[in-house]
Parts: sequence; structure tokens; C-alpha cells
Amino acid sequence: MIDSVYIAWRYLVFNKARSATLVACVSLIAVLPFTLDVLLNESERQLLSRAETTPLLVGAKGSALDLVMNSLYLDDQVPELVSMQVNDEVSESGLANPIPLYVRFHARGFPIVGTTLDYFDFRGLQVREGRSLALLGECVLGSAVAESLGLKPGDRLLSSPETVFDLAGIYPLNMNVVGVLEPSHSADDVAVFVDVKTAWVIEGLVHGHQDLLKVRDPTLIMERNDQNVTATAKLTQYTEIDEQNIGSFHFHGEPQAYPLTAVIALPADAKSATILRGRYVSAEKTTQIVEPNEVIDGLLRNIFRVKSIIDSVIVVVGLAALLALVLVFALSLRLRQRELNTVFRLGCSRYTIVRLLGAEIAIILIISAALVAAVAGVVSHYDEQLVRLFLVN
Amino acid sequence: MIQIESLRFQYPSGDFHLGIADFKVASGEKVAVIGPSGSGKTTMLNLIAGILIPETGDVTVDGIHVNALSDAKRRDFRITNVGFVFQDFELLDYLSVLDNILHPYRITGALRLTDEIRSRAIALAEGLGLGDKLNRNITQLSQGEKQRAAICRALMARPKVILADEATGNLDPRNKGHILDALFESVEAHGASLVAVTHDHDLLPRFDRVIDFQDFRAEVGA
Amino acid sequence: MAGTAIGDANHNRGCTVRHGLRRVLAAALLLFMACSAVAADKLVVFTVNHPLAYFAQRIGGDEVDVHFPAPEGIDPAFWMPDVSEIIAYQQADLVLLNGARYAKWVDKVSLPQLKLVNTSTAFQDQYLRGDAGTTHSHGPVGEHSHGGVAFTTWLDFSQAAQQAKAIAEALARKRPELAAEFQRRFALLESDLLALDSEMQSIGQRARGKPLLASHPVYQYLQRRYDLNLRSLMWEPDVVPGRSSWQGLQVLLREHPAQRMLWEAEPVSETAQRLTSLGISTVIFSPCANVPDDGDFLTVMRRNLEALSSILGPDG
Repeated sequence: MIDSVYIAWRYLVFNKARSATLVACVSLIAVLPFTLDVLLNESERQLLSRAETTPLLVGAKGSALDLVMNSLYLDDQVPELVSMQVNDEVSESGLANPIPLYVRFHARGFPIVGTTLDYFDFRGLQVREGRSLALLGECVLGSAVAESLGLKPGDRLLSSPETVFDLAGIYPLNMNVVGVLEPSHSADDVAVFVDVKTAWVIEGLVHGHQDLLKVRDPTLIMERNDQNVTATAKLTQYTEIDEQNIGSFHFHGEPQAYPLTAVIALPADAKSATILRGRYVSAEKTTQIVEPNEVIDGLLRNIFRVKSIIDSVIVVVGLAALLALVLVFALSLRLRQRELNTVFRLGCSRYTIVRLLGAEIAIILIISAALVAAVAGVVSHYDEQLVRLFLVN
Repeated sequence: MIQIESLRFQYPSGDFHLGIADFKVASGEKVAVIGPSGSGKTTMLNLIAGILIPETGDVTVDGIHVNALSDAKRRDFRITNVGFVFQDFELLDYLSVLDNILHPYRITGALRLTDEIRSRAIALAEGLGLGDKLNRNITQLSQGEKQRAAICRALMARPKVILADEATGNLDPRNKGHILDALFESVEAHGASLVAVTHDHDLLPRFDRVIDFQDFRAEVGA
Repeated sequence: MAGTAIGDANHNRGCTVRHGLRRVLAAALLLFMACSAVAADKLVVFTVNHPLAYFAQRIGGDEVDVHFPAPEGIDPAFWMPDVSEIIAYQQADLVLLNGARYAKWVDKVSLPQLKLVNTSTAFQDQYLRGDAGTTHSHGPVGEHSHGGVAFTTWLDFSQAAQQAKAIAEALARKRPELAAEFQRRFALLESDLLALDSEMQSIGQRARGKPLLASHPVYQYLQRRYDLNLRSLMWEPDVVPGRSSWQGLQVLLREHPAQRMLWEAEPVSETAQRLTSLGISTVIFSPCANVPDDGDFLTVMRRNLEALSSILGPDG
């Protein structure tokens, strides 16, 4: 009876470190291209599905990619700002319905998306728990945010200052969590949604404070004349919005001048889309209109160009690793010369040792394959989250 | 029963040659071979086992002309008929004591590993005081224990010929006695022929016959 | 939504109908479904004041379901709906806004932008920037003021007609198949409003140059359109003004010797008597921002005009 597998197994178990190294080596080589493939396909799916469902995007002139990445995937790179005027222009054109986006601030690491309720209808986002936005200062959480921060309706979430050195006086806003969305398997899962007006509150453009004309404390007033009252820094602005103080919140200046990062334009039909695009061709325009699909297509082309380079690198690395493996086995054959002699002197063919080595390789390959399958399973199962982790945020 | 007639052997390098005119060991006979190092004792054991092939002459074991067999047949003959206790044990580090004893059964189609064989191996090891070490690794054994494991492996297939090359070297007198007991017991139980190369003159009286290789061989050269 | 559910239920029921009665039942069912479909198809319209609700109801007729949920007796301009009311607004098909920064609460809640209709965009460049009030500075934004835009836009009946037109257009966008019907009803409403406009213009002519007072600064558009010589106080109908207010009035009367004062609502009798003793008669001119106790927007406005007309006397 020949039981090469058993002996090979004992050999592998005895030389644990060597076997583990070999398995790791083989698995890595196999897992890398596979994982890369799965993740790229998933990122393509995520990027495209979102780009395809967002017909047009209006934003400041500049990097179209930054604009799309920020507006569609809530990337941290904030594009140049445009004003609410852009939203109104789209609306007044009668060619498309606008949805304003102000994706600039963060709350505990998650992007705050300032928009209107229309965004939820447009993206098909459903409230799973609680309710949708109603009052200024409220927020609705993407499912992943709620899960990660352990928040539920009734809790509060503090917005983060834009930078550590933010001295301009942007007070963090303690938002009321009023709802949690159903998972949408998109960037919306990691977003904190607020009404665009609430985003302006975070910025300090809309704010609430005591009525300066009724202030009794003289230390709050720096200067007072017939036309103007200047308050000192001691005047506290409200950092929470509640039933008592909501009445004191007010806009400064014309809301039309208020900032946005982009406006999603939903054209009535293809013809309207073309006409609307035509209106942004002019060189004097400080805004641009982009079709996210085209931008993402360009990005994907680049990604896949890089992927083909990585693929060839993997092939070379794989070959090198294969040669190393051959060397390892050749060396182990020499190390086992004595065993080979013993086996021969006991009365069996020198060829047996080759079979033992074959069995060893087979076992290593099988274990590696199992490992690769396990990793592949995990990667395929969590591809969505992984892509979001690595690619989008 | 072992028989060597008009044998002449030379290593391919040509630096050593050996001639044996006539050498016989009957079934059940225990023969000790003594002589200085380099006199060709191990070479003769290898010739009997069919590990080495003579240029001329004949080696017969139980009527089988060993050097007339094909390579494959000779290997099968060796693993089934010859129990060889090597000078330096030649056990495999990565196998346990029991797996080393059963090793021949796993590397050739000529032997079959059955439950009976397994219990025989355990009984044999217990007989040689290795009962509590069956699952130990070889590296954890003392010299004496390794030697006993090597003997177990040699005796497992109940060979017709037992060849022992310095089987009792490096052992204390009590262990030497045990080893010899085990070898003799197997000879008596299965009518095997034992050829033991030894430097241990204290043990010689227990053998049926002692051959001083220096006097016995027909020719030797370097 | 509910209508769809009913439709589905009927559809399912339709599937289980047995052979014998099939035809009759199927016909009845179709009729029922058609009726429920019409009911379900009613456009749900929410507004921020009574005039807009009135216009929407006149234009939309039975095809719309108009809601204006502010409680009675409250000024809708300074009302704050609660969350359940806001959600009701969110679920409407259309939310009609007055524009001109009317109803401050709209800035403090989330409403679906695509359902909002600002009815006064047609004349937004003609908004009256009221007395700017005191500006103030703090924080990063610099000097700003909360003194606002005059928002009682509908008291200029030509503006009211434009607001009604915007409503007609918005309804037609939502229900293109009913556009002609909406247009027909709008034309009727428009003629009512324009009749008010021309009547008020003639009243304005008769009142030309005569100094008038207003208890509150809500008549800016009335004043502009109909050329009234009007000065506003800050008096509440249900509160007797304090000494300083009366003194202020005396000062004002020296340069603006008014004999008539417009009130949004009936002032308490003490105030009225004291005004009478100063030779000032009171006249109720309700802006009708909220639902009136009796009648509707049109009847209230006619009553306003009558009152104003009669107090001016036959020769003006």
C-alpha cells in the first residue's frame, strides 16, 4: 500500500513554518488577481449604477471628476462652490428639476449631505426608522452611519468643525437624529442627510441668537448706533435647534447667494437635457454641466488601464513566486537525500520520493485553494463595503 | 538460508574491491561478523540485501538468486524478505515512532498496511519497551530508543534474513542484551538467518558462529 | 397612496370573481375602480395662507383637495406648524407659497423643493423692501438686517391675479389633461379679482391725498397700487395702546392729520372710542390671511372695499 499523502502530510505538519509560508505564498498569488478583479467589478458597478442614474450635474468650473466624486460618492474633496442661484437657474429654465447638494461638512467622520427632500425621492431612499427631515437642525442617517455610531432617532449628532484651525466661528451644530434610512448599498448609506438650510446653519450663514434690540447685557454689545448694532464675541449663537429657539433662526442676505457644491439636474427629456447642456457651453460661465456617466466612463477607462498594468505585474510576480517554489522543492529534495537513500535501502524505488513531493505539492495547493476560496467568499460577500472603504471614502 | 559463491565486487569508483569465495548461513543460524573498519563487512551486508550487485558470483537467499532479479523485483524482495538494521538507524525525523515502524508499509505496493499489521507493530514496540513512546517524535528519543525503533521496523515484515550493522553500538550492556534478545527471538520464531556485524566482543559467545572477516574474505583491496 | 391600495385590493378581488356573476361584477368593479381612481387622483394642495387656498380651490374645483392647516385666529405669517403638520405639507402634491418671504416657518422646515410653487415670482422684482429696521453685525457674515420685504402681496389685486395665474399654471403642470378646465376657472377668478382691482382703484382716486392711518404695516401693496396716503403704526386690535403710543400718534397727526384708520380687525372699544375723540374713525380692512369667520376671501375683500368706500363718503 502506498500512502504518500499521509507521509507528505506528516512532513508538512512537522515543518509547519515552511508549509505555512508556502501556502501563504501560493494563496497570495492566487488571491491577488481574483480580489482585484472582484473589487474592480464591484467598484465599476457602484460607480456606474450611481452615475447612470444621475443624468446631469451642475457645478463650478474645474475638475469634473472632483465634482462627480463629491456629489455622487460623497468624496471628501470639496469642489469649488456655486450659489443657490444655480439651482434657481435650472428650475427657472423649465428644462430640468434641480436638486441642490451641499456636501462639505462632516459629523464624526461621515459626510453631511445638505439637500432637499427631493433627493430622497430621486434616490429612492426609504426611512426605516423614525421619520424624514421636517425641522431645521434635524438629520437623517444612512444605515451604515447609524450602525457605526450606534445612533437612533431621538439621539443627537454633533457636526465637526471644518478644520482644526477653524477660528472663523463655525460653531458645531448638535443635530437631532430623526430618522434612519433603509440600506441602499450606495454612498448614501454612509451619509448624514440634512436639509440644505441646516447645512447653512452649520456654516453659520443661517443662525439663531438673542434679539440684539432686546439685549439687556451691555457686554454683549460692541457698538450701537441708529442703523446698526454690533455684537461682541460673547453673543452666544445657539448650537442646538429646538422648539424654543427655532423662531430666532434667520437667513443672512439673499438665500440665492448661499453656497452649494453642486446641483443635480433632472431633465424632462433628452431634448431638454441637450438644450440645458448647451446653456453651459459659454466660456464666460463660471459653472459647468457634466454628465456623470461620461466622467465615470473616463475614470473607469483609466482604472482598467491601470488594472491591466497591475495584471501584468501580477503575472510576473506570480512567475517569480513559482520559480521560488520550484527552487524550494528542489532544495528540499537535496535536503532529503538521506531519506531518499533510506527509502531505497528499505526496498523501494527512488521514484517514491518524487511521489511524496507530488503529494506535498498537492496538499499545499488544496489548502491554498481552500484558503483562496474562503478569502474569495469573504471578499465577494463584503465587496460592496470593501469598495466603499477603499475607493469611495 | 543465505549462500554466497565466488563473489567479486568493486565500487564504481574502483577504490575498493571485495571477493568472497564461499559464505553460507543456515536458516535459524545466528552469525556474528567481526573485523576492523574498512574491511568490507557493510559491503557484504549490502550485497546480501541486493542493495549492491556483484560483478561476478552469486547471492542466493532461500533459493532466490538476488542479483538475477530485475531492479523492481529486487526492491520488493528486499522490503519483504530482508530486515536491515542500519548503522545510524536511518529513521525519519518527521514521523512518530509508530509511523517510522510502519513506514515500509506506506511506501511500497509489496506490503499491505492492515489493522493486524498495526497491532503487530504496537506489540513489537511494547516488547522492546517503546509502548509509551509510540506517538513521540523521533527527535525526542534517546539513542537506545532510536535503535529499538529501527529494530522494530526491520522485524515488522518477519524477514527471512536479518542483517544488523553495529546494531548494539553506543548502547549500555543491559540494552545490548535486550536488542540481541529481540533479534534472536525473531530468528527463532520465523527461522530467519541473522548476520550481525559487531565490534562487541562481549556478545560473541551468544552467537552460533563468529566470522573474523579479515581471515574469511578471499580478497580485498583499496 | 391610499387610492392605489384600494385599486390593488379591487384588482385582487377582481381576480377571485366567479364565473356566473362575472360580467355584472366586472362592470360594477370597473365603475367602482374608475370612481376611486378619480378620488385618488385628486391633487393634494397645501398653502401657507387663506388667499392662496381660496384661489387654488376656485381654480382646482373638485379636482383638488386644498388644505390650509393653520389654526383659526392666528396670523399665518408668523405661525409655526408642528411636525405632523409639516409632514402633511411634505406629502402634498403641491405646496403653494406666497413668496416675498411670507411665512417665515418655510425657511425653518424641510419641504420638497420640487413641489413648492412660489406664486409671486412673476412680480418678485417689485417686492417692497419695507423699512429695513435695525441692522446688526456678528459672526462671519457681517452686517445684516432682518427688516424685511412687505409680504401682503394679495392686497394689490392685480398681484393677487398674477398669484392665481401661477397657481393655475402649477395645477395644469400637475394635471395637463385638466389644463383647459383650470384655465376656464382661473379666468372667472381673474375677472373677480380684476373687478376688485378696478373698484379699489376708484376708491383710491376718491381717497387721493387724504391722510390715512393703518394699525399695522400690512397695507404696503394696497398703498402702492391704489396710491393711498397711508402711514402705519404698530398697534394691536386687542391691546389698548400705552401712553407713549398715543403721544406718538399725536406727533404723527401734526404732520399727517388723518381722520381714518384702517384696522386688520375690530379694535377694542376703548381704543375705538379714544380714536373717535381724536376725530379718527376706524375702518376694518382685513387682509384675510387666515380663514375668515364667515364668507371667503372674495366676500371679505368686498366687505373691506365697501367699508372703506363708505367711510370716505360719497364725494371722497
